[in-house]
Amino acid sequence: MKLEKRKIESEIFTGSMADISFLLIIYFMVTSVFSATRGLDFALPKQTNTTPEIKQEDSIDVHVMQGGQIKVDGKPMTMDQILPYIASKLKQNPDKPVILRTDPDATYNDMIQVFDLLRQAPDKIGMEIKTISIPTQREIQNVWALFGVQ
Amino acid sequence: MSLLRGRARKVEASIFTASMADIVFLLIVFFVLTYNVQVDRTQVNLPKTWVRKTVPKNAAYISITKDGVIRVSSGKEMSLPVGSDEEVVTFASNVVAETPNKAFVIKADKDTKYEHVDKVLDALKQAKARVIYLLSEQKTQDDTNQ
Repeated sequence: MKLEKRKIESEIFTGSMADISFLLIIYFMVTSVFSATRGLDFALPKQTNTTPEIKQEDSIDVHVMQGGQIKVDGKPMTMDQILPYIASKLKQNPDKPVILRTDPDATYNDMIQVFDLLRQAPDKIGMEIKTISIPTQREIQNVWALFGVQ
Repeated sequence: MSLLRGRARKVEASIFTASMADIVFLLIVFFVLTYNVQVDRTQVNLPKTWVRKTVPKNAAYISITKDGVIRVSSGKEMSLPVGSDEEVVTFASNVVAETPNKAFVIKADKDTKYEHVDKVLDALKQAKARVIYLLSEQKTQDDTNQ
């Protein structure tokens, strides 16, 4: 009598594959967030032993005050007037740095709108502002202290 | 003949689901490729700007809410709140000591007082940070007209 070999059928059960996939999709959909990953960049100066001294008359002073008012070199200006004024100064000296000072009581948005405007200089006036300095309150106070102003 | 007898022909209704698995797998591949771990989930209203540069991956995050609450993350772990300005300096110094060229991202609410941002900038300068990004959303012509 011949013994018949019993065939063992091999197969991978894929019935639950769709369920697992749906669970994964739900997980990714719930945890993924469309986040903002772009912004305005600025580089801080490298730390050197000798601090380059910038005299006030050598720079353009942009002062953002509470309420969003702006003074450039002490003169009140609107947003549209800033870049033409800076362009006239840069024509005399293209390396002129711009100092962006902001009052502590002004909002962050007031400051960033002016900073954004300064960064648009190559497109709007065809000239690049090579140095935009954003001094902090402590640095400003240190400078005033050097001049003996409390 | 069947019509004469009044028998209605049965129409079987079914939804074809064989391609479901393919679609689901495509969606999974999409999510896997686009998924990135967000280390800081603080809800803030970002300011809108025209100029925007892409923030490098694994940058350190400092978020500032409208009320001036500061949270920090080195880019590896989830952000944690800090209590004082000195803690921000310590955090930034540690990050710079580990990776000197690490970029710092300031994610501040547009309505927060500038003094909060000023303190963070001062801390980053003290820690000798080199590159800072001020996170923003894209400004459009509609925003300008408003």
